Amino acid sequence: MELKCIVVTPERTVLEQSAMFVALPLYDGEYGIALSHTPMIGRLGSGELRIQKDGQIDRYYVSGGFVEVLNNTVSLLTDRATPMAQITLEKAEAAMEAAKAKPFTTPEETKIRNAAMQEARVMQRFAKKATH
Amino acid sequence: MAKTKTLNKRRNSIRSIRKITRTMELISTACYRRAMDRAVSAMAYTDRLTKMVRNLASSGAEVSHPLLIPHEETKNVSLLVLTSNRGLCGGYNGSILRTAYHRWNQLIGKDGEGTQKVEDPSLIISGKRGISYFRFRKITASETYTQFEDKPAWDEVEPIANKYLELYLTGKLDRLEIVYTKFFSMSKQAVVHETLLPLTEIGSGEESAEEKHQATADYDFLPDATSILSEVVPASFKTKLFKCFLDAAVSEQIARMVAMKAATENADSMIQVLTMAVNRSRQSQITGELTELIGGVEALK
Repeated sequence: MELKCIVVTPERTVLEQSAMFVALPLYDGEYGIALSHTPMIGRLGSGELRIQKDGQIDRYYVSGGFVEVLNNTVSLLTDRATPMAQITLEKAEAAMEAAKAKPFTTPEETKIRNAAMQEARVMQRFAKKATH
Repeated sequence: MAKTKTLNKRRNSIRSIRKITRTMELISTACYRRAMDRAVSAMAYTDRLTKMVRNLASSGAEVSHPLLIPHEETKNVSLLVLTSNRGLCGGYNGSILRTAYHRWNQLIGKDGEGTQKVEDPSLIISGKRGISYFRFRKITASETYTQFEDKPAWDEVEPIANKYLELYLTGKLDRLEIVYTKFFSMSKQAVVHETLLPLTEIGSGEESAEEKHQATADYDFLPDATSILSEVVPASFKTKLFKCFLDAAVSEQIARMVAMKAATENADSMIQVLTMAVNRSRQSQITGELTELIGGVEALK
């Protein structure tokens, strides 16, 4: 028995592969899924998705979305799933600049800005990790 | 003599036009396939999202989200019009723009019947055809996009969706309407006018009775069903907008395919008629020359 991991973006199904263990970023921290996990629906945060199989680990960067676990199938619905290698410091910094440029005069605007900055920060962290 | 020559010339020019329309037909067929593939692969996301919404709803979660609540006053209304960048696609742009122009007149209160005058309407146009149509009518669009061709990408649509989400949430936009060509089937596409914001439903809402009866598993919700559901709302809006763009792209290619097919057939029948005329005039010319010749021989006797 193996887990099946499916990653779907609005454009297409990015990934469909079997795995032994899947670690994904939930809204409040990392969450691991092994075989025979209870059915679950969760909200994703931004961070690293790790798919582990036969000692090999595939890493993807996902930002927001949802995860559903049912019958040993892990399906992720996310806006974007990028292989970790493609996350660069420049991209992260560009995202940060864009977030900083947003207006913050009302509480709603500030909320949107903070969310964008938070995501850019996560991106920066992973970009830095990759370069080291 | 001169007549045959002009007829021949016309026939040749129609032949070359036929070649062009035929090629365009083939190109749009290929584009249509590609656009259709994208639309189909985008379905996976919507399907899963709808399924998840159903699971969440069956757990008794109630959704309340600012995007689902209409604003008390409707002042700022944006009308988004999706047209194509290129012409030669039959009535595709014409019918969209007719609907959009009518709606726009209603919004600014110029139309006699069904006027819904709002204080501050704004026009957003995608596609060169629409841009030039409204420019000709001296209507300024607040925003224009020309980057959407036969394959709209999520990375291009998402920033736009985010922008309107932010505008709506911060109260700078009270309603977002869209006019585009919806794809129903290969043989049916129609111009529709829809309201995207405030959202009326989440998920696509199309579910078969069979799926409804499916026993849902007992899910764990992280953090809880209600907060996940409220997170689904913006995602649902984004995919809805994305689907509009995909539908428009597919419909455009179909419209072009049909238009070019008709043009090729017209050219075919014209060539046939002209060929007949050319042959007849050549024949009468030969007959004329023969009579002259025989007349000359007779005269020499």
